Amino acid sequence: MSASKSIQIILARQLASSIATPILLVDPSGTLVYYNEPAEAIFNQRFDETGEMTAAEWTALIAAVDDDRNPLPPDHRPMMRVLTERCPVSQTMWTRSSDGEWRHLRITAFPLIGEKDVLFGAMSIFWEIEGPS
Amino acid sequence: MKVTLWGTRGSLATPGPETARYGGNTSCVGVVGREGTLLVLDAGTGIRRLAATLDASQRRIDILLTHLHMDHIQGLGFFAPLYRPDVDVHIWGPASTKLSLRERLMRYLSPPLFPVSMRELPCAITLHEVPCAEVEIGEFRVSNALVCHPGPTVGYRIVEAGGSVLTYLPDHEPALSALAFPSLPREWTSGGTLAAEADLLIHDSQYSAHEYLGHVGWGHSSLRQTLDFASLSGVKHVVPFHHDPSHSDADLDRLIGEAIAGAKPACRVTPGLEGTTFDI
Repeated sequence: MSASKSIQIILARQLASSIATPILLVDPSGTLVYYNEPAEAIFNQRFDETGEMTAAEWTALIAAVDDDRNPLPPDHRPMMRVLTERCPVSQTMWTRSSDGEWRHLRITAFPLIGEKDVLFGAMSIFWEIEGPS
Repeated sequence: MKVTLWGTRGSLATPGPETARYGGNTSCVGVVGREGTLLVLDAGTGIRRLAATLDASQRRIDILLTHLHMDHIQGLGFFAPLYRPDVDVHIWGPASTKLSLRERLMRYLSPPLFPVSMRELPCAITLHEVPCAEVEIGEFRVSNALVCHPGPTVGYRIVEAGGSVLTYLPDHEPALSALAFPSLPREWTSGGTLAAEADLLIHDSQYSAHEYLGHVGWGHSSLRQTLDFASLSGVKHVVPFHHDPSHSDADLDRLIGEAIAGAKPACRVTPGLEGTTFDI
């Protein structure tokens, strides 16, 4: 059984599950606690199959490079930057999951900060950029 | 612990012959431990009667506020121990993102809403902001967490040395945090961890199933949702609480009966009647 969730994370999941745009939700340690159905294409796996994944697990599932095709280490990706910098991050990048297809994405991630400056996690939203890969 | 319901009505005090049995006072529950520690859960209008039962030797009182909506604090200014200089009153309650608990309480405990300012009260008041880490109050261990209700609102889980568990969620809409309720495991359900395996759960049950459809997002539950939440949480005994002001005693008898027949909960259900005491 996974750990109990804060109301901020519970409500964020509820919002994500009712949105047609891909959304990932991580806890303060970077564990991916939820991704919605539209985001399943990015992982090429369903959330019901993977369940929660640690930061090491889920970042390993996706190859990521910047617009100049330089590899992006996990701590340079938007979601992990948000957790360390505690401020919103927006950037474009290329990703590839197990289906082998490269996707050009614009990603906006933001921290979920509660009262007393407590960090509950982060949420990121993905837009696929149209164009040849 | 001994748990007494001093106010079971939601939203607005509702005195009158048609509500005499379930009671018209707003939320207040007294909890007394084996060693005499007194916890007061919310300060609705029921707190006035609670105060009348207190022994003069009581020197410390902890008031645990779930949130600061009027029906949960209206009785505070009429709580007699606040006017005794020999009493330490500890008030636990949520701050907001911009205002401290003191500033929020001062909005009520100051003119023009109330003639006496908080700083003029003779008792010694200590304020504690929640949510916070688990704390020990006398023989109780008290944990709290934000739950689904408009504005900063917490629920409380009170564990007595020896293991009895009381969970208090008087204003709570867990169905809002799930597309279909109940469908997610308890750790993904608002209040689910607070209520897990509790011996006694006092829970919001403001609406009938039909009424809930017109009040989604108002922060309250239907009777059926309360019973489903109790089953999900694995509680042993649930008390439907925070009754809608428009519900008469006859309405509540009927609605609770219908909800039990529909939900067939595994746990015991005791309707929240003002004056009822539970020994757990």
